[in-house]
Amino acid sequence: MQDTVTTSALLDPSHSSVSTQDKSSTGGHTSSTGPQLSKPSITPVPAKSRNPHPGANFHRMRRIIAEDPEWSLAIVPLLTELCIQHIIRNFQKNPILKQMLPEHQQKVLNHLSPDLPLAVTANLIDNENYWLRCCMQRWPVCHVAHHGGSWKRMFFERHLENLLKHFIPGTTDPAVILDLLPLCRNYVRRVHVDQFLPPVRLPAQLRPGDQSDSGSEGEMEEPTVDHYQLGDLVAGLSHLEELDLVYDVKDCGMNFEWNLFLFTYRDCHSLAAAIKACHTLKIFKLTRSKVDDDKARIIIRSLLDHPVLEELDLSHNLIGDRGARGAAKLLSHSRLRVLNLANNQVRAPGAQSLAHALAHNTNLISLNLRLNCIEDEGGQALAHALQTNKCLTTLHLGGNELSEPTATLLSQVLAINTTLTSINLSCNHIGLDGGKQLLEGMSDNKTLLEFDLRLSDVAQESEYLIGQALYANREAARQRALNPSHFMSTITANGPENSVG
Amino acid sequence: MNPPGSLADVDPNLDEHLSTQILAPSVHSDNPQERIQARRLRIAARLEARRREALGEYLDGKKESEEDQSKSYKQKEESRLKLAKLLLCGTELVTNIQVAIDTREIHRRVEEEEIKRQRIEKLENEVKTSQDKFDEITSKWEEGKQKRIPQELWEMLNTQQLHCAGLLEDKNKLISELQQELKTKDDQYVKDLKKQSDDICLLLERMEQQVKSVMKAFREELYHIEKAFEVERQELLASNKKKWERALQAHNAKELEYLTNRMKKVEDYEKQLNRQRIRDCEEYNTIKIKLEQDVQILEQQLQQRKAIYQLNQEKLEYNLQVLKKRDEESTVIKSQQKRKINRLRDTLNNLRSKYAKQIKQFQEENQSLTLDYQSLVLQFKELQKAMRHFALIDDKKFREIWLMNEEEAKDLITRAFDVDRIIHTHHLGLPWTAPDFWFLKNVGPISQQPQKSATQIVEEMLMHTEEEEAEEAASEPESYLDLPKQISEKTTKRILMLLCDESGFLVESKLLSLLLPLEQNECYLLRLDAIFSALGIESEDDLYKLVNFFLKYRAHRLSSSLQIKSCSQASMEKASMEETSTGSELELAEQTEMEGEKEESLVEGEKEEEEETPPSPWVIHPNDVVKILEAFVMGLKKPRDSRAPPRVQKNVRNNSKDSEYWQALTTVIPSSKQNLWDALYTALEKYHIVLTQRAKLLQENSSLEQQNTELQVLLQQYLNSKINSELQVPPTQVLRVPKK
Repeated sequence: MQDTVTTSALLDPSHSSVSTQDKSSTGGHTSSTGPQLSKPSITPVPAKSRNPHPGANFHRMRRIIAEDPEWSLAIVPLLTELCIQHIIRNFQKNPILKQMLPEHQQKVLNHLSPDLPLAVTANLIDNENYWLRCCMQRWPVCHVAHHGGSWKRMFFERHLENLLKHFIPGTTDPAVILDLLPLCRNYVRRVHVDQFLPPVRLPAQLRPGDQSDSGSEGEMEEPTVDHYQLGDLVAGLSHLEELDLVYDVKDCGMNFEWNLFLFTYRDCHSLAAAIKACHTLKIFKLTRSKVDDDKARIIIRSLLDHPVLEELDLSHNLIGDRGARGAAKLLSHSRLRVLNLANNQVRAPGAQSLAHALAHNTNLISLNLRLNCIEDEGGQALAHALQTNKCLTTLHLGGNELSEPTATLLSQVLAINTTLTSINLSCNHIGLDGGKQLLEGMSDNKTLLEFDLRLSDVAQESEYLIGQALYANREAARQRALNPSHFMSTITANGPENSVG
Repeated sequence: MNPPGSLADVDPNLDEHLSTQILAPSVHSDNPQERIQARRLRIAARLEARRREALGEYLDGKKESEEDQSKSYKQKEESRLKLAKLLLCGTELVTNIQVAIDTREIHRRVEEEEIKRQRIEKLENEVKTSQDKFDEITSKWEEGKQKRIPQELWEMLNTQQLHCAGLLEDKNKLISELQQELKTKDDQYVKDLKKQSDDICLLLERMEQQVKSVMKAFREELYHIEKAFEVERQELLASNKKKWERALQAHNAKELEYLTNRMKKVEDYEKQLNRQRIRDCEEYNTIKIKLEQDVQILEQQLQQRKAIYQLNQEKLEYNLQVLKKRDEESTVIKSQQKRKINRLRDTLNNLRSKYAKQIKQFQEENQSLTLDYQSLVLQFKELQKAMRHFALIDDKKFREIWLMNEEEAKDLITRAFDVDRIIHTHHLGLPWTAPDFWFLKNVGPISQQPQKSATQIVEEMLMHTEEEEAEEAASEPESYLDLPKQISEKTTKRILMLLCDESGFLVESKLLSLLLPLEQNECYLLRLDAIFSALGIESEDDLYKLVNFFLKYRAHRLSSSLQIKSCSQASMEKASMEETSTGSELELAEQTEMEGEKEESLVEGEKEEEEETPPSPWVIHPNDVVKILEAFVMGLKKPRDSRAPPRVQKNVRNNSKDSEYWQALTTVIPSSKQNLWDALYTALEKYHIVLTQRAKLLQENSSLEQQNTELQVLLQQYLNSKINSELQVPPTQVLRVPKK
């Protein structure tokens, strides 16, 4: 060995330094497979050039191969790896995923581009990680909790929302949404749209890039400013549970025009038909849309006897007593659990009809009548209804011009009722005596956890004492939740602590 | 609790909250109410803080007093309370803005409504006044039309113009007012917008602040809790360590104590050992001396033994010699014996072979004999069969011959009777009466009625009763029976029923179950059959004995002591008879006959009794049935044993009456009648002779007449022949032939 090394070193001075380095490592390279493999590929030309020395050929070859600093097993990727790479590259044309082993699938999904067309990925990929990447790429802020913790659902819901937001009737092709329908129908459960653009008028067509600006320039004579008809979309989404709509235009700037914010009768009728046909709908919200009594009645009529509807939110509209009466009818003809009529124009008769429905209702849990004007007549009617109702837990009567008579009745209700956990009477004129009476009623109540009396002219002392009672109730509820069996014993244990305060 | 002075000295961390609360809407608000509200809130918050402080102190005090409750739990609880309060305060703080805005909105609405109302009123007033003015102007137009003078007209037009201008001005004024209002409203709207944006900013700020403060508080509390846990843990560690050290110390002390004890003990033991060693040494010495003495004695003894041994050796050698001699002798004898044994073995073998041969022979013989025996048995059986067959045939033949003979005899007899009757009626003219003899009615061989078995009788009886033939057994001569004619069938039946009902225990339960589906009569029959077989009742006699026994028993119970005595006498007699009877069959047979007679007599007596007391078996109490049965079985047992042998001869026919019968048949016609017949015969013979003579004579007469007629025929012939006509003188003319 030593001889050959020296000879080779002598023969080829250019390699001498390498060979000397190699001397130390020759002992390790006893196996001949490595050199044989790479013999033809790496050094064919120098081998030919050194052929004049046949005796030393083999050793020389080995030597040279062993010296190759670039040679390494890691350079050759695995065939599976190559295949995966290929699949990833050609995923758009030939999507192969389900046929692969799980670990390979994972690898492919990790390297797929989020820009792939939805037609390919929508029904094929369920991997949350991929959709997470898609979402993160498109939107900087993602609240996955608002979409049931599923990134895929979030992606499709927000995608659809985006499309709907920028849909201009008459200009945008309806196929844009209808094409998406078969891809997203299984994933979309919630549709939340906070603006519907009106159709564009003639001058607007000249510059279609700026829809919101153009819409405002139309004249008043155009009677139909109908928005996108949701019927097809809602019928197509098989798992739709929540519909949250605002007929509004955002960022109109100086192009403001009243006409922009019209919720037309045609819109109303089509929406009513759509929600009537959707039997999976659980939550329906139509807020800030100038819904008046007639439109509210149209929508509520379509919701009568709906099989699963649980929540109805018509807040910030223009609903008056007739609409409230319709809502009262809905209460007795559905399984509604939450009703929100905040910031409408419900007055005493509407509240009375609602109270009448509430008296025998067993489904409604929450009723919100904030910022209406039901006054004492309506408040008293509601209080009477609460004496028989055994279901309602949350009641919001803030800003309703209520005063002492209502407070007296409510204090009686507080003494009897055991289901109410939260009452809000803020921004009323309860007065000092009313506060005292409420305090009296509160002293007999053990279930109420929240009682808001801010800005309602109640004496500070009684408000404070009511706060004390609420605190005791909360503690009791907490103990009950922690260990229901030792409820009684804990009450006695908590007794002294409360009394000290 | 809440003095105003104490407001100043609130702790610094509370000041944070206060400062945030001071930032509440009160600062920016124009509304005095809101400011008031804000102040109230502040006071409430201070109160809260105050209370919480007091509570915390209290809790601290309690913590110190109750050391056993865990510190961490306390801390946790405390933190929870604190945080809950903080959260509540925070949310209240944040929502305060909303509430304030709500109130503002309400106020705005109320004001708006008021203004709207006023505006509408104003507008209405305006409309009214302007309408009035307009009306005035229009009326003036009418006036103007009537004016003819141009100046006047011009004047009037001027005034009208002035009026119109005034009206227009009014309207314009109103419009400008409204526009002014609109402008102010716009301004207010802008202001509102600004305010709202301010509010929103405030809200955001507060929310951020809240988030921060809450985060801080949470972190703090977490830190506190962790600290508390750590402190507790350290305390626990320290206490445990202390405990551990204490335990270790105690352990060490104990160890030391044990060590000293052990040392002491070791010393003690060493002393004891020394003492023991000395003692042992002494003992050892004494024992050694003693043993040495013993050794000497033993050596002496050994010497003695050796001497004895020598002697014995010599003796034994001698014995050996002798024994050797004996051995030789014995070998000789042995060989002799061996030879003898061989010889004997040979003979034994011979004998064995012979014996085997014999056995074979005998087996063969035995086999042939058994075969013979079997064949004989078969033959015997065949013979028996043949015999039975022949006996049957014989019986049949006998019967047939008998019948034939009887028929013949009867023919003869009838013929004789016919002859006799003819003789009597025709010849003697006497009325004839047919003689009546018992044997004439007999058909077939005379034999005693075969004894029926008890069950047959019962069956018959049941059948009879079923048919409801209330007639006495006597009306049907053979069927009901020689022995107990006195006892009515019904009585018997009732007794049997009673028996059947009461002694069900004699019937096997299996049978009972089988009987269930059967008819009543069959059921009774089968049950009775079973009962009889159990009681050992086989024949008719036994049955009647039983029935009688029942009746007797009843009589015994009912009737007077005399009857009892007679009964007992009868039984006594019976007993004596049984005693006298030895072993011979004849005597036994006689005895049974006697018994039968006795019973008959008894039964007769019984019957008389029955006549006196109407027979009703129901008098016999069902409870007594078992007793009766017991007595009956006891009575029946003894005669039963000896009766078996004579029964074999039952099949042999009694032919004693045959000759008598036949003899009787011969003497159907008595000798007197024969004498009569003899006399009649002689007389008739004589009469016969006379009649024969007469007959001869009649014959002669007839022959003569014949000859005569023949001769007449010949004559006629001759007369009628042709020759006569050829003759000159026809004889016909000569002769007078009588013409017919």
